[in-house]
Amino acid sequence: METWCTSSQLSRVDKMAKSSGNKGKVCLMVGTRKGAFVFTSGPDRKNWKVTGPHLKGNEIYHMAYDGRSGAMLASIVSGHWGPTVARSEDMGKQWKESSTPPRFPKGSGLSVARLWQIKPGPEEEPDVVYAGVEPACLFMSKDGGRKWKVNEALMNHKTRKKWQAGGGGLCLHTILVNGKRPGRLHVAISAVGTLRTDDGGQSWRFQNKNVMTGFQPDKYPEYGTCVHKLAINPSTPDVIYHQNHTGVYRSDDAGESWVDIRNNLPSKFGFPVAVDANDPKRAYLAPLEGDFSRIPPDGHFAVWGTDNRGKEWFRLDEGLPKQSYYTVLRDGMVSDMEDPCGLYFGTTTGHLYASRDQGNQWESIADGLPPILSVNVSST
Amino acid sequence: MIRVLLNAQLKDYTRGAREVDVSSADNLGTMVRKLDSSFPGIGGRIVDDQGKIRAHVNIFVNSENSRYLQMEKTRLRDGDVVHILPAVSGG
Repeated sequence: METWCTSSQLSRVDKMAKSSGNKGKVCLMVGTRKGAFVFTSGPDRKNWKVTGPHLKGNEIYHMAYDGRSGAMLASIVSGHWGPTVARSEDMGKQWKESSTPPRFPKGSGLSVARLWQIKPGPEEEPDVVYAGVEPACLFMSKDGGRKWKVNEALMNHKTRKKWQAGGGGLCLHTILVNGKRPGRLHVAISAVGTLRTDDGGQSWRFQNKNVMTGFQPDKYPEYGTCVHKLAINPSTPDVIYHQNHTGVYRSDDAGESWVDIRNNLPSKFGFPVAVDANDPKRAYLAPLEGDFSRIPPDGHFAVWGTDNRGKEWFRLDEGLPKQSYYTVLRDGMVSDMEDPCGLYFGTTTGHLYASRDQGNQWESIADGLPPILSVNVSST
Repeated sequence: MIRVLLNAQLKDYTRGAREVDVSSADNLGTMVRKLDSSFPGIGGRIVDDQGKIRAHVNIFVNSENSRYLQMEKTRLRDGDVVHILPAVSGG
């Protein structure tokens, strides 16, 4: 992999990232099957400098930049040596593994197989970080990701024995932090569904009302739905967009109920969903033919967007190949916090694309990367 | 004393050492726990949350693969030589 960023350039980026004057730097974190790549750009998002692969040889299921501490976190899985969390305080140059990584307690019969999403907690808890794992559970760190402890309420949930794995394993893959209501978190588990806590994780209840399953006699069960990804706009955290195995949904009441918003989409199936940071009415999907072929409709990958909360969807493919069988995994597409909103997606064929204008025009940032598992973005 | 020979990927935990000594341990599970006490974090890379040897890790005791002995319950004696290696996991 060619590196376009010299060490002196990166050093400047690091110093800027740590200084209060570094507003507007955009950091794109790309997790692949063979390590992590960090792309950095100025606020125009036109020229990207890359470092990597970091954590070489590991599967990177997710990365996050914690703006509260300036640390970068990565969920890493070694095929031989198992999963752990790594933390970098210099934008990815050096990494240190958690001293107490996410591990289930002895006697639980459970063992962490993979780490999925890693999510900094709310502003009022600056050292709290969450991690979702397989088999499905939530872990919390109170020291910025160095030491982790299991959420016992979810680990001991009364329905756990009936939870069924999806194709990607029984994974807790999405964590939504409601920044306006302390103690409220949403988590999504394949193929179990969405759960919410309002008491900081002491208790959890399912939130799958009106979400259809196509693989149970009961089409609308309390749980057993195959949620693929959830996304919220931080300014309107009660509005949640939801890409499911069997449909596309929106909730306007913090997950209490869901409305089918597939409408004119070419497919109800897909994995990622992203929300425009500046306009809660705008959301983005990457539909695939479902669910057995899992290839782009008509052999032409496109992002689809809405600007009216899912009443209508439009194709966003300017700059993308006319024939493409790309697959974008559940953490493979993300939006930034800039204005206009930028969108990014990475494919299992190692292509990385970016749009600076809400998906209207796409540009290739990199190709030839290892298969991309996750893409995340942050302003440093 | 038990002599433990480590794969290069584990040397980050042992300050670069590829060979370390562990005081007497009656079986492999105990040895891994003692190793982790001396070099925090290394144990979780060798065994899973419940103390089972990871699927793609092999531990040899005097050149015998513990998978054909008693896994983490394999008995150890002073003077034993233990190799901890990644399993062949390719095609």
